[in-house]
Amino acid sequence: MLDFHGIIFAYRAAPALGELVSRRTAASLPFCGRYRLINFPLSSLMNAGIRDVGVIMQRDYQSLLDHLGSGKPWDMSRKDRGLRILPPFGLPEYHKGNYAGTMEALIAVSAYIRDIPQKHVVLMLGDLCANIDLQPILEQHLRSGAEITAICSDHTPWGARHRFVVGEDGFVKEALYDVKGGEGLASLEGYVIEKETLLRLMDYCNARNFYRFHRDGLGYFLAEGGKMDVAVHPGYAEMINSVENYYRASRDMLDSAKRHELFPAERPVRTKTNEGVSTYYGEHAVSRNSLVADNCIIEGEVENCIVFSGVRIKKGAKLKNSIIFRSCIIGENAQLDCVIADKDCSFAPGTDLRGSESLPIVIGKGKQI
Amino acid sequence: MKKTCIAMLLAGGQGSRLYALTQQAAKPSVPFGGKYRIIDFPLSNCANSGIDTVGVLTQYRPLQLNSYIGNGQPWDLDVAEGGVYILPPYLGANEQGSWFTGTANAIFQNMAFIEHYNPENVLILSGDHIYKMNYAEMLREHIEKDAACTISVLTVSMEEATRFGIMNVGDNGYVNEFEEKPKHPKSNLASMGVYIFNWPKLRQYLIEDDADPNSSKDFGKNIIPKMLAAGEKLWPYRFQGYWRDVGTITSLWDANMDMLSTTLINLYDPDWPIASRSPICPPHYTGPDAEIVHSIVTEGCEIDGHVENSVLSPNVIVEKGARVLYSVLMPGAVVKEGATVKYAIIGENTVIGNEAVVGSAPYEGEGWGVATCGPDLTIRPGAQVPANAMIYTSEEV
Repeated sequence: MLDFHGIIFAYRAAPALGELVSRRTAASLPFCGRYRLINFPLSSLMNAGIRDVGVIMQRDYQSLLDHLGSGKPWDMSRKDRGLRILPPFGLPEYHKGNYAGTMEALIAVSAYIRDIPQKHVVLMLGDLCANIDLQPILEQHLRSGAEITAICSDHTPWGARHRFVVGEDGFVKEALYDVKGGEGLASLEGYVIEKETLLRLMDYCNARNFYRFHRDGLGYFLAEGGKMDVAVHPGYAEMINSVENYYRASRDMLDSAKRHELFPAERPVRTKTNEGVSTYYGEHAVSRNSLVADNCIIEGEVENCIVFSGVRIKKGAKLKNSIIFRSCIIGENAQLDCVIADKDCSFAPGTDLRGSESLPIVIGKGKQI
Repeated sequence: MKKTCIAMLLAGGQGSRLYALTQQAAKPSVPFGGKYRIIDFPLSNCANSGIDTVGVLTQYRPLQLNSYIGNGQPWDLDVAEGGVYILPPYLGANEQGSWFTGTANAIFQNMAFIEHYNPENVLILSGDHIYKMNYAEMLREHIEKDAACTISVLTVSMEEATRFGIMNVGDNGYVNEFEEKPKHPKSNLASMGVYIFNWPKLRQYLIEDDADPNSSKDFGKNIIPKMLAAGEKLWPYRFQGYWRDVGTITSLWDANMDMLSTTLINLYDPDWPIASRSPICPPHYTGPDAEIVHSIVTEGCEIDGHVENSVLSPNVIVEKGARVLYSVLMPGAVVKEGATVKYAIIGENTVIGNEAVVGSAPYEGEGWGVATCGPDLTIRPGAQVPANAMIYTSEEV
């Protein structure tokens, strides 16, 4: 049996994501025409052979539950264990707010974590846009003898908060919290950690009402002289914590090199499938530098766009620099530029809507314009 | 629980008239219409009609078909009591087993499977037709008319009738005569090769037919005529709608072209979805120089050339300056820079080299026909493949 267990933090919804997270968490944010952000950690775990995974959620999780189902697309619908949804069950009655930090989220599901049969736990963010190859990282973790291996990036992703400075012995000598850049490697907030170590940090924090994983948990661990290794993920990695970042990461996917980094043939990203039909392009359709999912009927023009499944773009409509979620209808001669339309929106014929690349217009789910 | 009806899907045919395309795989697993394989149509029809138990009879090169069908999950056929089963020919203890010698023999050899579910009726389907059909409607009529066998028929023109098995109908509406490819047809009701039999009756006829050394063990040639001769009630179920046999290169190409018209067959209808096993690739990418006109394109494709009136399967690549016209590109096909593919079918993972030309248009010369390249081929840069050509996987062009 593979001695690793996955935990995905899927409760976060950065306020700067605005209307995009009004009914969902960032982990279930649609991305690149057919995926949800949580597909990345799920697929990373799956591609490393990990099938027992707990997904921590707290509120606004209907969309995530719909998407995950029994975990079948990721081979995580198992007879024993497999995918487990973890709503809060260890919090006192009076606790009504959002999780104040990752450590609090872990403590809220501590009964589950104590029950994990594997020796090591892989912690991953549900809203990190990265296809991390875990295989070599797990091997490195077993080889190095470190209690914790931090997954870091070879660059500084947007929204990265913490950094690790590595000493001459190859282990972390200093952690820098809440910094934008500078010395060391940017943390992707993914960790391979021994279960016993994780429980020790949780108990320590719980006793002191500390709730932050990095400052409180890892800080204590390093201060005690704990050995923490660093593994570098070399490919695409960005944190989706604002509309601006979401828009930029989406547009990045129009760049073939970046797209192939995120979707390499050898480590496929799996998602729930629902579309069964190809996309039809009409007599006057134009599609340039765009990603278009299946089950669309395109009769108008799209340029620099990302179009999700089931979208209808009528004759004469012109879409530029826009992201159109599932099942939207764009009426005849409508013009959209720099618009992010959430699912089931419809735009009346002749609508003219222009945002800017630095400030795209977000249209909430199901709106009729 | 006793089942009202289970389906038996005949998918063992070699499909020899598809030549290079069925060299390595059985006909039902040939890619079709962009996202599909031919067998998706009968399987989806079953699922949509509420038939949750399907035996798929395979024998010729079944590997691709087996792995494609898997546990039947894409068609929602992964159910506890029933589901989809692959039924290959087998050898019994102390007896000589054999390949299926005819359509009726294939069912005869798998009687144990049907007995296990002991259904009231058995639906017989073939794995090489493109159509959307509600078998539940047909079953309702079958039960209402108290028929021993209900045969789905299509109204064709009198000229076409000479190519089909034709049902002649009496005053009471029941079938009174069956003629295989008649020179002078008396009716224009053509059998679609879709039958519902009352199972106890069919069982009896299969056993009798198996003992008949002169029988070719075929439904159309033997079982149906024997039932008629014995005075059984045979009811013609009149199917209306799109139906195509895709047994030849031309008919396969034609039917693919039909997929470009929603008025012929609407695949976007959410009430009758045709499901398929998705390879789960990113959405297709259209490059800065892409031109796509009146075509269907699907997941994993990367298009930067000109695509017109064509059907593209997953993971097809059309490079800059390449032209694809009136063609069918199967999964993973690559058309390199400057190459032209017209009026052609390109097999899975075949690469058309730079500046190569495959096929030609009907108005460009005599002896026109669809050019076909089998799977896993590499057409050399600058090569010319004429109209009507058939390039096999082992060939070098």
